[in-house]
Amino acid sequence: MIEVAAALIVWLGAALVVLADARRGLALGLAVVTIGFAVLAWASGQPVGGVALVVGGMTGALRCWTAGHGTWGLMPHGSTSRLVLCVAAGLLSWWISASVTPTPGGPLLFAVLVVLGLMAARILTGGDIVVDRTAIACFALALASSPALASSTPTGPVPYIFGALIAAAVIVAPATLPQGAARSGKDGG
Amino acid sequence: MAAELFLAAAATLTLAVVFAPPRVQRASLLTRGLVGLAGMAAITIAPTLDLILLIVLVLAVLQAGLVSHRDFAARVRAPVLAIALLALGVAFERVEGPPLLLRLGAVGIVAGLVAAIGLLPYLHEFDPDESTVASPIPWIAFVGPLLAVAVLARAKQVLPADASDAFGAMLIGLGLLNVLWGTLAAWRTESDAGAWRYSFLSDWGLVLCGFGLAIADGQGAALILLLSIVLGRLPLYLWSRQAVRDKTPTDRPINLLVAAALAGSAPFAGFAARVMLLRGATQIYWPLAVVLAAAMLLWLPASLRLGRSMGVPRGRQAIGVAIVLAVSVFLGIYPQPLLALAG
Repeated sequence: MIEVAAALIVWLGAALVVLADARRGLALGLAVVTIGFAVLAWASGQPVGGVALVVGGMTGALRCWTAGHGTWGLMPHGSTSRLVLCVAAGLLSWWISASVTPTPGGPLLFAVLVVLGLMAARILTGGDIVVDRTAIACFALALASSPALASSTPTGPVPYIFGALIAAAVIVAPATLPQGAARSGKDGG
Repeated sequence: MAAELFLAAAATLTLAVVFAPPRVQRASLLTRGLVGLAGMAAITIAPTLDLILLIVLVLAVLQAGLVSHRDFAARVRAPVLAIALLALGVAFERVEGPPLLLRLGAVGIVAGLVAAIGLLPYLHEFDPDESTVASPIPWIAFVGPLLAVAVLARAKQVLPADASDAFGAMLIGLGLLNVLWGTLAAWRTESDAGAWRYSFLSDWGLVLCGFGLAIADGQGAALILLLSIVLGRLPLYLWSRQAVRDKTPTDRPINLLVAAALAGSAPFAGFAARVMLLRGATQIYWPLAVVLAAAMLLWLPASLRLGRSMGVPRGRQAIGVAIVLAVSVFLGIYPQPLLALAG
């Protein structure tokens, strides 16, 4: 029951990242995704992995929350299509994880599918660097959690720690702005 | 196979730095190349596909963070799509679902691999004026070959036996598409830089066909072609950039030699690979060999064009071109040790 709730929390967090255009909304979405994946990691017998996800994800969320002027930016004008995407991705992932595959790790499969799908869609349709970095952080958390889907092979905490590091670093690292001066090709031949 | 490609990439980086044109900042090129090599080393030793995907995500973010006129979102888009497709494919293979889901997983892995490299139907955005390290070229010619070998090796561990045939068929189908598109586009495009980019596509098409054949000849041909991309086509592309910018096509003997190497003529490395590929295709399904042979012949005019676009290499670049051609001849005449090393 806890795993199902955690998977739904992950969906909620991913939906927040898709529906938000400003720092606070994005930070909240990343934090919620982090909590959901941490609970799922703990439930699949990876307490170290769960703690690593919390540290990495929350570091990224905190940085996202505090950097610059923060507004929520939730569901701005014209975001109906994004809302439909969130619902459709959730339903499709739910159908695959609950009906098509009779595996015990259904909630984790749902969480991984929904985050991968929604974050990829967010990055493909986005354009703002903060949005993209937050989506990549969520993406890293989902990738770090996906080895636990393989019930036959034991997974250590390494993917969780690596994914958590990426989730933190991608937001904490300074941004590079596009520059016309780079067109000369002097740095790369 | 991955170790050989890693060593080839290291050798190419050395060549590119040592024999770089005077206006290129060597320290910057070396630093970024070493970061790429570090990522490739991590990909080589990563035990699972999931860790490989996380490493690719790091490389994608690092490359997208480089200074360029294209923004972060535009450059990170293709790698993220690739990682998403690969991760979905692997997830579908891991769960105990119906056969349809397993086949969908195989589609995801192939589609993700092709997207990561930047082949059709997932061509990365390419601007000839962009610096090479920030452009899609490292994905198609530096990191891509090793990544493809690593992904295919790990994918075989998760793919069930009944999905393997579909997996190979998709590789061959996408390979043919890229061979034909790369060949015709390199022939028809007005831009020499664009023609170079399409030449990578065409070589990759042959590589995918080789991997899809799933027999020793196919795998051997794919390995030699990948090495000829990393050790031959990539450094030649780097040294041709100035002449392409200056639009100074020349018809010297060196241009003819470069064209022959790029076309896969004897005695260069591409010839041995093409012979092995045709032999393998004949064993599996002979009409495939006919199509491949036609595509290889079609590639000749575009290779002549690329050879002419090199200009006349002088000084250090001339030495670099000579080394690349010598290595290609050695691999073409005596590929056996390499094939034995790769198993």
